Amino acid sequence: MNTIDQFLTNSSKSNPEKLALIDHNSKFTFSELEEKVNKFSSFLNQFQEKSVISLLFDNTSEFVVSYLGIINSGNVAHLIPTGISNSNLQKQISSAYPKLVLSSDSHFEKIKDLELENLEKKKFSEVKELSSEIRKPSSTDYAYLIYTSGTTSAPKGVPITHSSCDFSTKNIARTLQYSKNDVDLLPLQMSHSFGLGCLHTSLYVGSTLVLQKNPNTSEILDLIKKYNVTTLAAIPSTLSNIVSDSSSDSLQLLSNLRLIITNSTFFPPEIIRKLKNILETGMVATYYGLTEASRSTFMIFDNEKKIESVGKPSDGVEIKIHNTSDDNIGEIWIRGPNVIDDYWKKQYSKNKSDDWLKTGDLGRFDDEGFLYILGRVDDLINVSGEKVYPQEIERIVKVLSGVEEVAAIPMKHKSFGEVVKLFVKKTVASKVTSTDILTHCIKNLERFKVPAKIEFVEDFPRTDYGKIKRFMLKE
Amino acid sequence: MNIDDDIKKIFFETFPLLTESDFDWEKTQNNYDDWDSFAQLNLITLTEAKFEINFSDDEITSINSAKTLLNVTKSKI
Repeated sequence: MNTIDQFLTNSSKSNPEKLALIDHNSKFTFSELEEKVNKFSSFLNQFQEKSVISLLFDNTSEFVVSYLGIINSGNVAHLIPTGISNSNLQKQISSAYPKLVLSSDSHFEKIKDLELENLEKKKFSEVKELSSEIRKPSSTDYAYLIYTSGTTSAPKGVPITHSSCDFSTKNIARTLQYSKNDVDLLPLQMSHSFGLGCLHTSLYVGSTLVLQKNPNTSEILDLIKKYNVTTLAAIPSTLSNIVSDSSSDSLQLLSNLRLIITNSTFFPPEIIRKLKNILETGMVATYYGLTEASRSTFMIFDNEKKIESVGKPSDGVEIKIHNTSDDNIGEIWIRGPNVIDDYWKKQYSKNKSDDWLKTGDLGRFDDEGFLYILGRVDDLINVSGEKVYPQEIERIVKVLSGVEEVAAIPMKHKSFGEVVKLFVKKTVASKVTSTDILTHCIKNLERFKVPAKIEFVEDFPRTDYGKIKRFMLKE
Repeated sequence: MNIDDDIKKIFFETFPLLTESDFDWEKTQNNYDDWDSFAQLNLITLTEAKFEINFSDDEITSINSAKTLLNVTKSKI
């Protein structure tokens, strides 16, 4: 069992002069990165005991050095998304209780007024590199702490151990066939489990990781060309933008990619098909997981009939559908080394039953063991006793031209108890109307699933990670 | 397109099995096989969206044919 810091140590031993990390203004070989990380770790010796250190950084090498420096010295890295609101930031700090908050110079304004007893606040440029013996972590230590996005409730602290991370990283590398020959492009924040998992995987297999601050389409294509990138990890909207905004010549730059990986439980099939058509031999893949149970399934899209599935459980991970109804739909429960023991400070323990994590997600397995996600238990809409899964409606409406994003929620109704209300964000210059959407729904859905009200919105209330806050729409 | 045509179109959209020869302005809910409470909801929602109007509970209850839907709609515009 490895600790995360050993991923770097091992790769540095095997290929010290190989390029490990590239960002917008620096490049590091594995040995250079290891040296930087060790120096950073020694700086943390000022703390007598293992401590939480909070990080607020863009997608840069400074983040990687700080993060690895923290966990390399047995401390816990609390990862903060850069888009966080001030009130959420203060809440996270009060809950995580760090000794130090460290940010890039450009984000220091955001942390300088944080309040907590004995809290130090520093810019990365103020870190003094020392040279002394470093405490080392054990595999059962917490490595990092991420707060959930809070799409359905208040954010919860999720601490991840080195051993859990080791398990998930090896599953990623094995299933998606990462190797040291890869050059991995990452236009994703590493304060999120998806981006961070990509960093771990690159370090573990000894590939080269190219960091990109913002998911700008033309820059992604430029970087793919410049560094002969072989894998791209991106959220679905980035991939949709690439496919819709780029010329066919530009899209040819993607054709030699070995892998495109995304993180959605619903990746629009038309985007998958377009990406698969562009790739000459490469794979398009997604996974299902929560911060609390990273990479619980993997899906490599190689079967048109399974295009809406999130795949099968990862090696060593068990998934069951709890409380199934006649349609075999129920809550998804997960058990395995990738599942957390408990939330930070043992809050919210009710989310576990024995070793099973109750995800709050609704799903079903098909006859061949492929898992399908249908939404959240809390989001289920009960129309006169008929269950309506918001995702089903959203999938149907999303295929309409001029619809950018949708959210279906329950709305109280005198006769039916609840009916479906649909919030719709249009694309720029879209001419789609409520009538178009309703007509389309009537054609494609059972009657009780057809929205009884449609409201157009400029945008949705969102979490710091960009997910729609459904509970706010219900208010 | 006038209101009559729009209402007729809404009926064909709500009841996909309805044919031109079956359509009758006077034909009431009881004579449709598939005009249940959910179909009623779809009819009302589609009409409200099309004409940007809102029906009251009494108006909704009174709608039981294409003719009554047309009349109630006309009274709101």
